[in-house]
Amino acid sequence: MSFLNEDEALIAAALNGSAYAWEKLVKRYEGRLYNYGLRLTGNASDAMDLLQEVFLGVYRNLHRFRGDAKFSSWLFRIAHNKAVDMNRRKRLMSTKSDSIDQDENGQIQLVDEDLRNRPEAKLLTKQQNNQILNMLESLPLQQRLIVELKFYQSQTFEEIAQGQGISTNTAKTRYYSALKKLKSESEKKHVLS
Amino acid sequence: MSCPKTQHLLTEYFADDLAAVLKDEIQSHLSACQDCSDELESVLNTQAHLSSWQDQKVPHWDRGLSLFRDEHGVPKIARSFFSGWQWLPTASSFAMLCVLLLNVNFISDDKGMSISFGGQASSSTNTVAEIEARLEAFEKDQDQQMQIFLARMDDRQDSNNLRLIQAVTDRSEKATAVSMETLYRFMEEQRQVDMLNVQLSYEQLMDSDYDTNQSLQQLASYVSFQGETR
Repeated sequence: MSFLNEDEALIAAALNGSAYAWEKLVKRYEGRLYNYGLRLTGNASDAMDLLQEVFLGVYRNLHRFRGDAKFSSWLFRIAHNKAVDMNRRKRLMSTKSDSIDQDENGQIQLVDEDLRNRPEAKLLTKQQNNQILNMLESLPLQQRLIVELKFYQSQTFEEIAQGQGISTNTAKTRYYSALKKLKSESEKKHVLS
Repeated sequence: MSCPKTQHLLTEYFADDLAAVLKDEIQSHLSACQDCSDELESVLNTQAHLSSWQDQKVPHWDRGLSLFRDEHGVPKIARSFFSGWQWLPTASSFAMLCVLLLNVNFISDDKGMSISFGGQASSSTNTVAEIEARLEAFEKDQDQQMQIFLARMDDRQDSNNLRLIQAVTDRSEKATAVSMETLYRFMEEQRQVDMLNVQLSYEQLMDSDYDTNQSLQQLASYVSFQGETR
Protein backbone atom coordinates (compact mmCIF):
# COMPACT_ATOMS: atom_id res chain seq x y z
CA MET A 1 0.00 0.00 0.00
CA SER A 2 1.45 3.34 -1.00
CA PHE A 3 1.87 6.19 1.43
CA LEU A 4 -1.04 8.15 -0.04
CA ASN A 5 -3.40 5.20 -0.12
CA GLU A 6 -2.45 4.45 3.44
CA ASP A 7 -3.49 7.98 4.38
CA GLU A 8 -6.86 7.44 2.76
CA ALA A 9 -7.27 4.07 4.45
CA LEU A 10 -6.48 5.64 7.81
CA ILE A 11 -8.97 8.45 7.19
CA ALA A 12 -11.67 5.94 6.24
CA ALA A 13 -10.96 3.88 9.35
CA ALA A 14 -10.95 6.99 11.55
CA LEU A 15 -14.30 8.04 10.09
CA ASN A 16 -15.60 4.59 11.04
CA GLY A 17 -14.59 5.29 14.62
CA SER A 18 -11.15 3.71 14.84
CA ALA A 19 -9.19 5.65 17.44
CA TYR A 20 -6.09 3.67 16.49
CA ALA A 21 -6.30 4.87 12.86
CA TRP A 22 -6.79 8.46 14.00
CA GLU A 23 -3.76 8.28 16.27
CA LYS A 24 -1.66 6.79 13.50
CA LEU A 25 -2.72 9.53 11.12
CA VAL A 26 -1.85 12.21 13.67
CA LYS A 27 1.48 10.59 14.51
CA ARG A 28 2.37 10.53 10.84
CA TYR A 29 2.12 14.29 10.43
CA GLU A 30 2.53 15.79 13.89
CA GLY A 31 6.33 16.06 13.63
CA ARG A 32 6.26 17.94 10.33
CA LEU A 33 3.44 20.14 11.50
CA TYR A 34 5.03 20.93 14.86
CA ASN A 35 8.29 22.00 13.26
CA TYR A 36 6.34 24.00 10.70
CA GLY A 37 4.54 25.75 13.55
CA LEU A 38 7.79 26.30 15.39
CA ARG A 39 9.41 28.04 12.43
CA LEU A 40 6.30 30.04 11.67
CA THR A 41 5.37 31.17 15.16
CA GLY A 42 8.87 31.20 16.64
CA ASN A 43 8.05 29.47 19.92
CA ALA A 44 7.13 26.04 21.20
CA SER A 45 3.89 26.89 23.00
CA ASP A 46 2.41 28.61 19.94
CA ALA A 47 3.61 25.73 17.78
CA MET A 48 1.83 23.33 20.11
CA ASP A 49 -1.33 25.45 20.04
CA LEU A 50 -1.19 25.49 16.28
CA LEU A 51 -0.69 21.74 16.15
CA GLN A 52 -3.72 21.15 18.35
CA GLU A 53 -5.89 23.63 16.49
CA VAL A 54 -4.95 22.16 13.12
CA PHE A 55 -5.74 18.61 14.15
CA LEU A 56 -8.98 19.73 15.74
CA GLY A 57 -9.86 21.38 12.41
CA VAL A 58 -8.86 18.23 10.55
CA TYR A 59 -10.96 16.12 12.89
CA ARG A 60 -14.01 18.34 12.47
CA ASN A 61 -13.68 18.36 8.68
CA LEU A 62 -12.37 14.87 8.06
CA HIS A 63 -15.65 13.79 6.43
CA ARG A 64 -15.25 16.66 3.97
CA PHE A 65 -11.85 15.49 2.83
CA ARG A 66 -12.04 14.28 -0.75
CA GLY A 67 -9.30 12.06 -2.12
CA ASP A 68 -8.69 14.35 -5.10
CA ALA A 69 -5.90 16.20 -3.27
CA LYS A 70 -3.10 14.92 -1.12
CA PHE A 71 -3.97 14.73 2.56
CA SER A 72 -0.71 16.49 3.43
CA SER A 73 -1.58 19.45 1.13
CA TRP A 74 -5.00 19.68 2.71
CA LEU A 75 -3.49 19.48 6.18
CA PHE A 76 -0.94 22.20 5.50
CA ARG A 77 -3.57 24.41 3.90
CA ILE A 78 -5.50 24.21 7.15
CA ALA A 79 -2.26 24.82 9.05
CA HIS A 80 -1.50 27.86 6.93
CA ASN A 81 -4.94 29.37 7.57
CA LYS A 82 -4.61 28.71 11.28
CA ALA A 83 -1.12 30.24 11.35
CA VAL A 84 -2.39 33.40 9.64
CA ASP A 85 -5.30 33.55 12.11
CA MET A 86 -2.98 33.06 15.02
CA ASN A 87 -0.63 35.77 13.79
CA ARG A 88 -3.56 38.18 13.43
CA ARG A 89 -4.80 37.40 16.92
CA LYS A 90 -1.36 37.91 18.38
CA ARG A 91 -0.98 41.27 16.62
CA LEU A 92 -4.36 42.35 17.97
CA MET A 93 -3.52 41.27 21.50
CA SER A 94 -0.11 42.89 21.71
CA THR A 95 1.37 45.63 19.62
CA LYS A 96 4.95 44.75 20.25
CA SER A 97 6.60 41.47 19.44
CA ASP A 98 7.08 40.42 23.05
CA SER A 99 4.94 37.34 22.56
CA ILE A 100 8.12 35.47 21.86
CA ASP A 101 9.94 34.61 25.03
CA GLN A 102 13.32 36.19 24.77
CA ASP A 103 16.07 36.23 27.33
CA GLU A 104 18.45 39.14 27.95
CA ASN A 105 20.57 38.16 24.96
CA GLY A 106 17.59 38.32 22.66
CA GLN A 107 17.63 34.55 22.21
CA ILE A 108 14.28 32.95 21.63
CA GLN A 109 13.52 30.49 24.38
CA LEU A 110 11.94 27.29 23.28
CA VAL A 111 9.44 26.45 25.95
CA ASP A 112 10.02 22.78 25.35
CA GLU A 113 11.08 21.47 28.76
CA ASP A 114 12.10 18.19 27.24
CA LEU A 115 14.50 20.00 24.95
CA ARG A 116 15.93 22.05 27.82
CA ASN A 117 16.68 18.93 29.78
CA ARG A 118 18.55 17.26 26.97
CA PRO A 119 22.26 16.57 27.37
CA GLU A 120 25.02 18.87 26.15
CA ALA A 121 25.27 17.15 22.79
CA LYS A 122 21.84 18.48 21.87
CA LEU A 123 22.69 22.00 22.88
CA LEU A 124 24.21 22.78 19.51
CA THR A 125 21.01 21.75 17.74
CA LYS A 126 19.04 24.00 20.03
CA GLN A 127 21.37 26.93 19.41
CA GLN A 128 21.22 26.41 15.66
CA ASN A 129 17.44 26.21 15.71
CA ASN A 130 17.26 29.31 17.90
CA GLN A 131 19.43 31.22 15.43
CA ILE A 132 17.18 30.20 12.55
CA LEU A 133 14.09 31.16 14.54
CA ASN A 134 15.64 34.54 15.29
CA MET A 135 16.34 35.09 11.64
CA LEU A 136 12.87 33.98 10.53
CA GLU A 137 11.34 36.20 13.16
CA SER A 138 12.67 39.23 11.30
CA LEU A 139 10.52 38.37 8.26
CA PRO A 140 6.91 39.40 7.81
CA LEU A 141 4.53 36.44 7.92
CA GLN A 142 3.97 36.36 4.18
CA GLN A 143 7.69 36.03 3.47
CA ARG A 144 8.18 33.59 6.31
CA LEU A 145 5.44 31.43 4.79
CA ILE A 146 7.10 31.49 1.39
CA VAL A 147 10.43 30.41 2.90
CA GLU A 148 8.64 27.68 4.84
CA LEU A 149 6.80 26.35 1.81
CA LYS A 150 9.62 26.71 -0.69
CA PHE A 151 12.57 25.72 1.43
CA TYR A 152 11.23 23.43 4.18
CA GLN A 153 8.20 21.96 2.41
CA SER A 154 9.94 21.80 -0.99
CA GLN A 155 6.94 23.15 -2.85
CA THR A 156 7.28 24.62 -6.34
CA PHE A 157 6.56 28.31 -6.89
CA GLU A 158 3.55 27.27 -8.90
CA GLU A 159 2.13 25.26 -5.98
CA ILE A 160 2.85 28.11 -3.60
CA ALA A 161 1.21 30.59 -5.96
CA GLN A 162 -1.91 28.41 -6.17
CA GLY A 163 -2.08 27.89 -2.45
CA GLN A 164 -1.55 31.55 -1.57
CA GLY A 165 -3.63 32.98 -4.37
CA ILE A 166 -0.73 34.96 -5.81
CA SER A 167 1.16 34.87 -9.09
CA THR A 168 4.22 32.70 -9.58
CA ASN A 169 6.34 35.79 -10.14
CA THR A 170 5.19 37.33 -6.86
CA ALA A 171 6.07 34.06 -5.11
CA LYS A 172 9.54 34.08 -6.67
CA THR A 173 10.09 37.73 -5.81
CA ARG A 174 8.93 37.20 -2.25
CA TYR A 175 11.26 34.27 -1.84
CA TYR A 176 14.28 36.19 -3.04
CA SER A 177 13.33 39.21 -0.91
CA ALA A 178 13.03 36.91 2.08
CA LEU A 179 16.46 35.44 1.45
CA LYS A 180 17.92 38.93 1.10
CA LYS A 181 16.37 39.99 4.37
CA LEU A 182 17.60 36.85 6.12
CA LYS A 183 21.05 37.45 4.73
CA SER A 184 21.16 40.99 6.07
CA GLU A 185 19.86 39.81 9.46
CA SER A 186 22.52 37.15 9.64
CA GLU A 187 25.18 39.73 8.66
CA LYS A 188 23.84 42.05 11.38
CA LYS A 189 24.18 39.25 13.95
CA HIS A 190 27.73 38.52 12.82
CA VAL A 191 28.66 42.18 13.13
CA LEU A 192 27.11 42.33 16.62
CA SER A 193 28.85 39.19 17.76
CA MET B 1 25.68 46.06 -4.90
CA SER B 2 25.64 48.23 -7.91
CA CYS B 3 24.62 45.88 -10.71
CA PRO B 4 21.08 46.72 -11.87
CA LYS B 5 20.48 43.14 -13.02
CA THR B 6 21.02 41.44 -9.64
CA GLN B 7 17.42 41.57 -8.38
CA HIS B 8 15.86 40.16 -11.54
CA LEU B 9 18.69 37.71 -12.16
CA LEU B 10 18.71 36.15 -8.72
CA THR B 11 14.92 36.02 -8.54
CA GLU B 12 14.98 33.91 -11.67
CA TYR B 13 17.96 31.90 -10.41
CA PHE B 14 15.72 30.20 -7.81
CA ALA B 15 12.93 29.42 -10.29
CA ASP B 16 11.93 25.75 -10.58
CA ASP B 17 11.64 25.43 -14.32
CA LEU B 18 14.39 27.62 -15.63
CA ALA B 19 14.87 27.33 -19.38
CA ALA B 20 18.29 26.10 -20.42
CA VAL B 21 18.92 29.26 -22.44
CA LEU B 22 18.10 31.47 -19.49
CA LYS B 23 20.23 29.35 -17.20
CA ASP B 24 23.24 29.76 -19.49
CA GLU B 25 22.61 33.48 -19.67
CA ILE B 26 22.54 33.80 -15.90
CA GLN B 27 25.66 31.69 -15.51
CA SER B 28 27.58 33.76 -18.04
CA HIS B 29 26.53 36.97 -16.31
CA LEU B 30 27.48 35.59 -12.90
CA SER B 31 30.91 34.62 -14.12
CA ALA B 32 31.38 38.11 -15.47
CA CYS B 33 29.73 40.20 -12.70
CA GLN B 34 31.42 40.14 -9.32
CA ASP B 35 28.55 41.99 -7.58
CA CYS B 36 25.98 39.44 -8.67
CA SER B 37 28.18 36.41 -7.88
CA ASP B 38 28.97 37.82 -4.41
CA GLU B 39 25.29 38.43 -3.75
CA LEU B 40 24.40 34.93 -4.92
CA GLU B 41 27.05 33.39 -2.69
CA SER B 42 25.83 35.16 0.42
CA VAL B 43 22.18 34.30 -0.35
CA LEU B 44 23.16 30.66 -0.88
CA ASN B 45 24.99 30.74 2.45
CA THR B 46 21.86 32.02 4.11
CA GLN B 47 19.90 29.18 2.51
CA ALA B 48 22.51 26.70 3.74
CA HIS B 49 22.13 28.15 7.21
CA LEU B 50 18.39 27.57 7.04
CA SER B 51 19.03 23.93 6.14
CA SER B 52 20.82 23.37 9.45
CA TRP B 53 17.41 23.24 11.10
CA GLN B 54 17.04 20.02 13.11
CA ASP B 55 13.52 18.72 13.47
CA GLN B 56 12.41 18.85 17.07
CA LYS B 57 10.47 16.19 18.87
CA VAL B 58 6.81 16.93 19.47
CA PRO B 59 6.09 17.31 23.19
CA HIS B 60 3.70 14.76 24.60
CA TRP B 61 0.05 15.45 23.88
CA ASP B 62 -3.07 13.29 23.73
CA ARG B 63 -3.51 13.66 19.94
CA GLY B 64 -7.16 14.51 20.40
CA LEU B 65 -7.84 10.91 21.39
CA SER B 66 -10.05 11.75 24.36
CA LEU B 67 -12.25 13.90 22.12
CA PHE B 68 -12.27 11.21 19.46
CA ARG B 69 -13.26 8.52 21.97
CA ASP B 70 -15.92 10.73 23.54
CA GLU B 71 -17.54 11.48 20.22
CA HIS B 72 -17.31 7.98 18.82
CA GLY B 73 -18.45 6.35 22.02
CA VAL B 74 -15.43 4.07 22.20
CA PRO B 75 -15.72 2.36 25.56
CA LYS B 76 -12.74 2.47 27.85
CA ILE B 77 -11.19 -0.95 28.18
CA ALA B 78 -12.32 -2.55 31.41
CA ARG B 79 -9.35 -3.60 33.49
CA SER B 80 -10.36 -6.71 35.30
CA PHE B 81 -8.12 -8.96 37.40
CA PHE B 82 -7.47 -11.33 34.52
CA SER B 83 -7.10 -8.75 31.78
CA GLY B 84 -3.39 -8.53 32.52
CA TRP B 85 -3.09 -12.27 31.92
CA GLN B 86 -4.53 -12.31 28.43
CA TRP B 87 -1.11 -13.00 27.01
CA LEU B 88 -0.93 -16.28 28.90
CA PRO B 89 -2.95 -18.53 26.52
CA THR B 90 -1.07 -17.14 23.54
CA ALA B 91 2.26 -17.61 25.26
CA SER B 92 1.47 -21.18 26.26
CA SER B 93 0.26 -22.01 22.74
CA PHE B 94 3.46 -20.55 21.37
CA ALA B 95 5.55 -22.57 23.81
CA MET B 96 3.75 -25.77 22.82
CA LEU B 97 4.19 -24.94 19.15
CA CYS B 98 7.91 -24.45 19.76
CA VAL B 99 8.10 -27.82 21.51
CA LEU B 100 6.39 -29.44 18.53
CA LEU B 101 8.34 -27.65 15.83
CA LEU B 102 11.75 -28.04 17.44
CA ASN B 103 11.08 -31.69 18.26
CA VAL B 104 12.12 -31.17 21.86
CA ASN B 105 13.04 -34.28 23.91
CA PHE B 106 12.84 -34.25 27.66
CA ILE B 107 14.76 -37.19 29.09
CA SER B 108 14.79 -37.91 32.78
CA ASP B 109 16.87 -40.88 33.95
CA ASP B 110 19.25 -41.87 36.74
CA LYS B 111 21.87 -39.37 35.56
CA GLY B 112 19.48 -36.51 35.78
CA MET B 113 17.36 -34.59 33.32
CA SER B 114 18.31 -33.49 29.81
CA ILE B 115 16.59 -31.49 27.10
CA SER B 116 17.52 -31.86 23.45
CA PHE B 117 16.24 -30.28 20.27
CA GLY B 118 15.62 -31.90 16.92
CA GLY B 119 15.99 -35.59 17.82
CA GLN B 120 17.61 -37.91 20.32
CA ALA B 121 19.40 -36.67 23.39
CA SER B 122 23.06 -35.91 22.84
CA SER B 123 24.07 -38.43 25.52
CA SER B 124 23.03 -41.39 23.35
CA THR B 125 25.97 -41.93 21.03
CA ASN B 126 25.61 -45.52 19.96
CA THR B 127 21.91 -45.25 19.32
CA VAL B 128 21.05 -48.55 17.61
CA ALA B 129 22.92 -50.69 20.11
CA GLU B 130 21.46 -48.77 22.98
CA ILE B 131 17.96 -49.14 21.62
CA GLU B 132 18.47 -52.91 21.22
CA ALA B 133 19.86 -53.22 24.73
CA ARG B 134 17.00 -51.24 26.09
CA LEU B 135 14.54 -53.36 24.15
CA GLU B 136 16.10 -56.54 25.53
CA ALA B 137 16.03 -55.19 29.05
CA PHE B 138 12.46 -54.15 28.53
CA GLU B 139 11.51 -57.62 27.28
CA LYS B 140 13.25 -59.25 30.22
CA ASP B 141 11.56 -56.96 32.59
CA GLN B 142 8.22 -57.67 30.97
CA ASP B 143 8.87 -61.41 31.20
CA GLN B 144 9.69 -61.15 34.88
CA GLN B 145 6.69 -59.13 35.53
CA MET B 146 4.55 -61.66 33.65
CA GLN B 147 5.97 -64.48 35.77
CA ILE B 148 5.28 -62.57 38.95
CA PHE B 149 1.82 -61.86 37.74
CA LEU B 150 1.15 -65.50 36.88
CA ALA B 151 2.44 -66.63 40.29
CA ARG B 152 0.22 -64.15 41.96
CA MET B 153 -2.70 -65.32 39.88
CA ASP B 154 -2.03 -68.93 40.94
CA ASP B 155 -1.86 -67.94 44.55
CA ARG B 156 -5.05 -66.08 44.28
CA GLN B 157 -6.75 -69.02 42.55
CA ASP B 158 -5.63 -71.38 45.36
CA SER B 159 -6.78 -69.10 48.06
CA ASN B 160 -10.09 -68.72 46.27
CA ASN B 161 -10.57 -72.49 46.14
CA LEU B 162 -9.69 -72.83 49.79
CA ARG B 163 -12.12 -70.15 50.69
CA LEU B 164 -14.83 -71.87 48.62
CA ILE B 165 -14.28 -75.19 50.33
CA GLN B 166 -14.28 -73.56 53.72
CA ALA B 167 -17.48 -71.76 52.86
CA VAL B 168 -19.11 -75.03 51.73
CA THR B 169 -18.00 -76.88 54.88
CA ASP B 170 -19.09 -74.02 57.01
CA ARG B 171 -22.49 -74.08 55.44
CA SER B 172 -22.85 -77.86 55.82
CA GLU B 173 -21.68 -77.65 59.40
CA LYS B 174 -24.13 -74.97 60.05
CA ALA B 175 -26.86 -77.12 58.53
CA THR B 176 -25.94 -80.04 60.77
CA ALA B 177 -25.88 -77.81 63.74
CA VAL B 178 -29.30 -76.47 62.91
CA SER B 179 -30.78 -79.96 62.48
CA MET B 180 -29.14 -81.14 65.70
CA GLU B 181 -30.60 -78.23 67.49
CA THR B 182 -34.04 -78.97 66.11
CA LEU B 183 -33.66 -82.60 67.10
CA TYR B 184 -32.51 -81.60 70.52
CA ARG B 185 -35.41 -79.24 70.91
CA PHE B 186 -37.80 -81.93 69.73
CA MET B 187 -36.35 -84.45 72.14
CA GLU B 188 -36.55 -81.92 74.94
CA GLU B 189 -40.18 -81.29 74.12
CA GLN B 190 -40.84 -84.99 74.07
CA ARG B 191 -39.13 -85.35 77.40
CA GLN B 192 -41.17 -82.52 78.85
CA VAL B 193 -44.39 -84.05 77.47
CA ASP B 194 -43.39 -87.40 78.97
CA MET B 195 -42.60 -85.84 82.28
CA LEU B 196 -45.92 -84.09 82.25
CA ASN B 197 -47.68 -87.35 81.47
CA VAL B 198 -45.81 -89.08 84.29
CA GLN B 199 -46.70 -86.29 86.64
CA LEU B 200 -50.30 -86.43 85.61
CA SER B 201 -50.51 -90.16 85.98
CA TYR B 202 -48.77 -89.85 89.27
CA GLU B 203 -51.23 -87.30 90.44
CA GLN B 204 -54.03 -89.45 89.15
CA LEU B 205 -52.56 -92.31 91.01
CA MET B 206 -52.18 -90.19 94.04
CA ASP B 207 -55.76 -89.07 93.65
CA SER B 208 -57.01 -92.60 93.33
CA ASP B 209 -54.90 -93.57 96.35
CA TYR B 210 -56.45 -90.74 98.24
CA ASP B 211 -59.89 -91.97 97.26
CA THR B 212 -59.00 -95.45 98.36
CA ASN B 213 -57.66 -94.07 101.60
CA GLN B 214 -60.73 -92.08 102.13
CA SER B 215 -63.03 -95.00 101.38
CA LEU B 216 -60.89 -97.07 103.66
CA GLN B 217 -61.15 -94.45 106.36
CA GLN B 218 -64.86 -94.22 105.78
CA LEU B 219 -65.11 -97.92 106.00
CA ALA B 220 -63.03 -97.94 109.09
CA SER B 221 -65.09 -95.22 110.73
CA TYR B 222 -68.23 -96.97 109.71
CA VAL B 223 -66.93 -100.19 111.15
CA SER B 224 -65.83 -98.50 114.33
CA PHE B 225 -69.20 -96.74 114.47
CA GLN B 226 -70.95 -99.99 114.07
CA GLY B 227 -68.78 -101.51 116.76
CA GLU B 228 -69.51 -98.74 119.23
CA THR B 229 -73.18 -98.92 118.60
CA ARG B 230 -73.16 -102.47 119.35
